[in-house]
Amino acid sequence: MKPAPFDYAPATSLHEALTLLTREDARPLAGGQSLVPMLNFRLARPALLVDLNPVEELARLEVAPDGSLRIGAMARQASLLHSVQVAAGWPLLADAVMHVGHAATRSRGTVGGSVAHADPKAELPVALAALDARFHVRSRERGSRTLRAAEFSSGPFTTALREDELLVEIEVPAPHAGARMAFAEHARTHGDFAVAGAAVVLAPGDHAAIALLGAAAVPVRVEAAERAARDGAAAPEVARLAAAGIDDAYRRALLTTLTERALRRVLAP
Amino acid sequence: MIGAPLRRREDARILRGETRYLDDIERPEMAHAAFVRSPFAHASIESISVPESAEGLVAVFTAAELGDAVRPFPVMEPAGTEVATSEAHPVLAAGEVRYVGQPVALVIARSRALAEDAAELVEVEYDPRPVITSARASERCLMRWESRAGDVEAAFAQAAHVVSGSYALPRLVAAPMETRGCIASHDAGSDLLTVWCSAQDTHRPLEQLAHILRRPESAIRVIVPDVGGAFGSKGVVAPEVAAVAAAAVRLDVAVKWTEDRLENLLAASQGRGIEGDLELALDADGRMLALRARLWSDLGGYLLTTTPIPPRTAATLIAGCYDIGVADVTVVGAQTHKVPIGPYRGAGRPDAAYMLEALVDEAARQTGIDRVELRRRNLIRTFPHTTPTGLQYDSGDFERCLDLALQLAAANPDEDAACARGTGVALYVERAGGAFESAEIELLSGGRFAIASSSSPHGQGHDITFAQIAADRLGVPVELIELRFGDSATTPAGVGTFGSRSVAMAGSAVAVACDELVERARALAAEVGLGAEPAVNWTALAQAADAPLRAEATFRSANVFSSGAYAATVSIDRATGALTVEHLAAVDDAGILINPLLVHGQVVGGAVQALGECLSEEAVHDEDGQMRSGSFLEYGLLTAADIPPIVTGEVQTPSPLNPLGAKGAGEGGAVGALPAVANAVTDALGGVYVAPPFTAEKLWRALHDEAAGPR
Repeated sequence: MKPAPFDYAPATSLHEALTLLTREDARPLAGGQSLVPMLNFRLARPALLVDLNPVEELARLEVAPDGSLRIGAMARQASLLHSVQVAAGWPLLADAVMHVGHAATRSRGTVGGSVAHADPKAELPVALAALDARFHVRSRERGSRTLRAAEFSSGPFTTALREDELLVEIEVPAPHAGARMAFAEHARTHGDFAVAGAAVVLAPGDHAAIALLGAAAVPVRVEAAERAARDGAAAPEVARLAAAGIDDAYRRALLTTLTERALRRVLAP
Repeated sequence: MIGAPLRRREDARILRGETRYLDDIERPEMAHAAFVRSPFAHASIESISVPESAEGLVAVFTAAELGDAVRPFPVMEPAGTEVATSEAHPVLAAGEVRYVGQPVALVIARSRALAEDAAELVEVEYDPRPVITSARASERCLMRWESRAGDVEAAFAQAAHVVSGSYALPRLVAAPMETRGCIASHDAGSDLLTVWCSAQDTHRPLEQLAHILRRPESAIRVIVPDVGGAFGSKGVVAPEVAAVAAAAVRLDVAVKWTEDRLENLLAASQGRGIEGDLELALDADGRMLALRARLWSDLGGYLLTTTPIPPRTAATLIAGCYDIGVADVTVVGAQTHKVPIGPYRGAGRPDAAYMLEALVDEAARQTGIDRVELRRRNLIRTFPHTTPTGLQYDSGDFERCLDLALQLAAANPDEDAACARGTGVALYVERAGGAFESAEIELLSGGRFAIASSSSPHGQGHDITFAQIAADRLGVPVELIELRFGDSATTPAGVGTFGSRSVAMAGSAVAVACDELVERARALAAEVGLGAEPAVNWTALAQAADAPLRAEATFRSANVFSSGAYAATVSIDRATGALTVEHLAAVDDAGILINPLLVHGQVVGGAVQALGECLSEEAVHDEDGQMRSGSFLEYGLLTAADIPPIVTGEVQTPSPLNPLGAKGAGEGGAVGALPAVANAVTDALGGVYVAPPFTAEKLWRALHDEAAGPR
């Protein structure tokens, strides 16, 4: 489990990182919690590893003047747990990240790394999909573009990111007034990747978002269930609608239950 | 000292990071090994092409290159057992591969990374052959043992009730925190081969390497440094170790192989992998008249030294703690295209307890007799007891274990709409001890003592336990006793550390050696005029003696039999199928306890491994024999957060077979917790049988009467 030979270049600025990423077979290294094992298994064999860890401008976690949350791609997963602003405005992120690995891996693993790795069993992409997050990506040659969750995730372990493109920042819009949110999942053991999960955001009468983990290879928003939730349907009915399209009986039951559990927590007085 | 809950003396050293595991050891000019492994479960090797040069490359060895310098593994042939010794595991694959991960070529380079780079340049041409993954479907028998006692047909014919069941346990990996590994170094001048090996003991690796390398034992020295866990998986040297040792002899340069986790999950011997059809005949009062058992063990592609042992142990223990005089038992060890099985904590004992105790619960359901009452009616109550499979149980008090477990068990849970709840009780008997171990003791200046033991530790706490035994025999403080382990050149011969045997065997050897030393000391004291008072003045004696005062002992005995009773309470979330083990009561009779603190640790650790087996652990091979659980992403090891409250209790019936009255405690938790939890799960499911691991999906389908998923 030693990686195949590669070159290593630490980037000290975003500009330098983007320049290095234009090289042949370059890959960015974030927290390394997924990429390093893949290197060691020799499943990933980049020619150049561009280390983003020294790039301070990517590590921010702050609320912008427009009220949105700005998560730098290199913000550590643990920072979502420690942020007062996240707890106040987007508690779904803290709720979801509690299920991501263990304390040690959350201290090193990054939010952007998890999103760009696009593991279909990962929690954060699902929570971000429920929060209507926008993904700011940039390359030296092509400049910047912004993608919605549905545009960013294209399949298991694949995203819309091009070879030389870097996920720079995740923008989570200001929460709807009175919105409450919760994440529920089922995993085999504590800290394991989820078998299934549900992220729910609800401001009754105004806004509802439900994203499922384990319904497909990418996070899935379930619009019929969202409409029903926004219009005040009871939790079991919303949950039934959320998972109605899933063929396998067990997975359907699991996602129905997890959606209902997340909804009940959102609706609890 | 006997019975004192003292902490291990190595704990502080371990916690400060001062341990020296295999990979911490460096030798001058040391080279590093990596292996080219088979990507196929079954194939012939058509050709192997080796790179002429590569960065840092030292040498490449194939089976052809090693030639007659090595031969396949020695294989144990227990009495009365048919063993296909011709199917012994080769060091490197010659002409054929029989499992994914089998070592095909050894690549040695200046670093492990360079060795892995060079290994990618070795080109092997394979011709794939048909793959067999099911023991029952295999027509190739590598091991067979059968036993018949009494008139089985007549007993079944006259039975009021005949109960049957089919049960299965998947393969598991041992997953020691420290993987396997070795450093081999050959001194051309003395022709001495020194092998530092992450192993359970020194003398089994010595014997195995001597056989494989065709060298006298006197030309090999095995050193076992600190070892970070084994659980049975380091009792046989790895084929990789034998290859590295053979290469070191050829190269005259030290070579290190540190197994990585990928290799360990792929190519280290696996545990369990057994299934069985059982039938029990009972009379109208629920007395057990006769047992039929036919077991199939999924042995894998080849036999390693101890591969035939776990299935044989399972078969011999299949009557458990019940007084059944009549039995017909067969176990077939079938060849499959998987990595060989080997001992893993319990090594056949959990397999037997699991199948038998599930069958007894089935009998209770069918006869309508309470499951505890049914067990009471059939418990063995007099000792020694000879089982229909020919074992002789030395001692025990099974009913006291049962009573105590019921007393410690959680109150019967109330049913509720959200959860299906169940309770389970199970008893077990465990073969421990047997064969021999040795000890040498020497009185040092200042009245201190050095004891060399043939049984070396890998986490159990031999050091303080043996020091307690010696302190008790010698009448001195425990601080004055120093233990020496882990070097075949300086410790006496023994068998090793496995099968819950260290205290009963090696501990007894220490006791006998101490008694001998006391006798010699008394004689010497009288000689040199130090008087004949009952307490020996060791300090004065050490000064007075012309030659060092020494004693040695080899202790032999038949097997001793530990036993126990476990009670579990579980709940199953009806909506998700998720299983929660709410409570586990563990009662073990390991005979007289030398150090109850360490026994407690053994029981809890073993029970946790059994819980992993119940909840999530499973080594999965697909129909092509490819490993689908090749990393900890797939293989579901439990974390501390998944462990329920475990309450332990002790019964101490002394064994008459050794001076300590000791039996064994190393495996009881792994043996007893599995059937107790499994029976509780079946109880929660209303009598529906599901095979471990009890994943949420399987339990949900059972609760919702859906066709069960993959077994």
